[in-house]
Amino acid sequence: MNLKMGKNRQTYTVKSIRLELALERRLEALGLTEGAPVTILNNDKKGAMTVRFRGTRFALGRRIAEHIDVEENVSCQTPKQ
Amino acid sequence: MPNSKTVNVGFIGNPNCGKTTLFNAYTGANLKVANWPGVTVEKKEGMTEYEGQKIKLTDLPGIYSLTSYTMEETVSRECIMSSDIDVIIDVADASSLERNLYLTLQLIELGKPVILALNMMDIVEERGMEIDLHRLPEMLGIPCIPVSARKKTGLSILLHAVLHHEGLTGQDPLIHHHAEKEQQSSHRHNHHNEYAMVYDDMIEDKIDILIDRLTAENPDLPNKRWHAIKLLEHDETVMKQHPVDLSGIADRSYEKDIINQKYDFIEEIIQEVLVNKDAKAASTDRIDRYMTDKYLGLPIFLAIMAFVFFVTFTVGDWMKGYFELGLVWFSDLVSGALSSAGTNPLLQSLVVDGIISGVGGILTFLPNIFILFLALAFLEDSGYMSRVAYVMDDLMGHLGLSGRAFIPLLLGFGCSVPAVMASRALEHPKDRLKTILVTPFMSCSARLPIYVLFSSMFFGKYKMLVCYSLYLLGIVVAIAVSFIVSKLDGSKAEQTLLIELPEYKSPNAHTIFIYVWEKVKDYLSKAGTVIFIASIVMWGIMNLGPHGVVSDISESFGSIIGKAIEPVFAPVGLGYWQIIVALISGIAAKEVVVSSCSVLFGIANITTAAGMSSMVEVLGSMGFTAINAYALMVFCLLYVPCMATMATIHREVGKMRITIAFAAFQLVTAWVFAFLVYHIGLLLF
Repeated sequence: MNLKMGKNRQTYTVKSIRLELALERRLEALGLTEGAPVTILNNDKKGAMTVRFRGTRFALGRRIAEHIDVEENVSCQTPKQ
Repeated sequence: MPNSKTVNVGFIGNPNCGKTTLFNAYTGANLKVANWPGVTVEKKEGMTEYEGQKIKLTDLPGIYSLTSYTMEETVSRECIMSSDIDVIIDVADASSLERNLYLTLQLIELGKPVILALNMMDIVEERGMEIDLHRLPEMLGIPCIPVSARKKTGLSILLHAVLHHEGLTGQDPLIHHHAEKEQQSSHRHNHHNEYAMVYDDMIEDKIDILIDRLTAENPDLPNKRWHAIKLLEHDETVMKQHPVDLSGIADRSYEKDIINQKYDFIEEIIQEVLVNKDAKAASTDRIDRYMTDKYLGLPIFLAIMAFVFFVTFTVGDWMKGYFELGLVWFSDLVSGALSSAGTNPLLQSLVVDGIISGVGGILTFLPNIFILFLALAFLEDSGYMSRVAYVMDDLMGHLGLSGRAFIPLLLGFGCSVPAVMASRALEHPKDRLKTILVTPFMSCSARLPIYVLFSSMFFGKYKMLVCYSLYLLGIVVAIAVSFIVSKLDGSKAEQTLLIELPEYKSPNAHTIFIYVWEKVKDYLSKAGTVIFIASIVMWGIMNLGPHGVVSDISESFGSIIGKAIEPVFAPVGLGYWQIIVALISGIAAKEVVVSSCSVLFGIANITTAAGMSSMVEVLGSMGFTAINAYALMVFCLLYVPCMATMATIHREVGKMRITIAFAAFQLVTAWVFAFLVYHIGLLLF
């Protein structure tokens, strides 16, 4: 599934990002990398959504959200080593 | 030990972390601060002194990382790496430590002395969090100084730390021996425990080999570890500068591994130093539930803007009354003094009818301007602005612009000049051009005096509604134009909004004061320069003709020029030569339309009740009604922006052709809309 299909107040883990390099790099610099946990704050609208990752809230456009593959995070928490 | 050499300090940090506020606190400069990312686009410099030591401070654009993918990142990275910077002050928003530490780890790897300034500690406390200020520097290996840029605390301690660590200048990695605390760490590479950031064995082995290869290539290269890490990340700039053989070691980019391990380490740090972190942010989430709601978001935004204009008009008008009384008193005083001194009547007319009437008329709008900017400052500093980008993104997406482009448009309510510059934050050149084209359609504060004057004269109790309608019309035209342009050039909305939504905070009095004071100062200096000169020129045009001083105004230059263009403006209800001359003069600055009217119609103190009623009489006798007034306001809203804006547009787009085409387009748009408004108005009323 992709991030845009996620539910509010659920935490997901990023599996892969399929965007053009520049955009992917910007997301990575913000900490949105493979394996990073993302919590959806508001995904009610058809277009952009708001999420939180690495301690900060962001608004993400629809195309970005649709190109981030995630999987459900069973514990809803960052796995600790 | 004061040193004759100036110490160069670079301020770097995430967008929106309070760098510029801190910079202002030291240098006394009043750079613009706003609670949304991307305000500082160029580096700014300032001087300060600490115990006799001269310190040069450089404020750099806010960045999230030291890669070189965006303009801001490249500017900041190059500056920090150069010999221009001796010590780095890494300004971190302590209330959002997790995000900010990522840049910190990258800075530490650069090898220059880094001092972490933990800003916004007051907010940390407000939220019931605590940061372990002993453990944090231990884990990072750099001094961590709590400061509050807003309350100006911790400032001298920070400079003390700068001077103390300046001696470490050199490009070797910062070495610090942390105690045997690595037991619980997932990063064990024991022969490297002098570094704050230690990667896993695979990466560290690769770093070691690359350092060997770099040494073989260039034995004197400073900070080889950083270069090795950048090579592993396949950083283009470093790969070009140091074409080391990467085969067998970095056949692919290890950037993702490196980023993930940095964030893993940050998580460890956060676990150890941040106490009570779940209390964090609850209030922002609660507010955002309404502000970013699917249905409520847009109405709330419109209501906030309506409230802003309501306050601007009611409170502003109330204060304006007193300014007008002062103006009448002053103008009578000067007029009396000049005639009793037996001054030449022509000179007396220049001073009283030209300068005082023109400049003074503009000054009476100061309260409205003041309140408008106070409200905008409040919105910006609270953190609401970036929510607007989110709320508007869907709508803007349908219209072919990114939600991010709405921020320049919103700034356009204040002044088009910074608004046009803010379009730099947009990545796509097409998006930028479109945004620059439509930004001047947003009703800037300079148009406010025109609306207030003409709506008060012709619309009585509906004047506020009329003004609000003009602001809405500006937004609608801006959006419609970008929609049509997008259809024409076939570009689809990118839907790639990516903007940080900062925590809400109670606006800071000092930040708001600086913001508003800057605007008021701009307004006053404009009144003293552009409007002053324009008033004199207007007076000259009205009182001089081809045969010298004229007694009949219809023989003046102004009348001759205006009458020549009258046919063009007649179809839009503006075929009055005085109005045409006022509109032309308004290109100098939009307020000049008002000051020119007072000079052109020979009405002293046009903004007072008496002045307005005599103006209505004069206009009425010419057949100028409320419909003409509305057409005039629409024309003023949309026509060619002021000279300062055109100069800015030219600087941003870089081509004279485009600048002229934009101005011509805006002129035609204004004419078309004024035409529609005028003729629809005639049909209806």
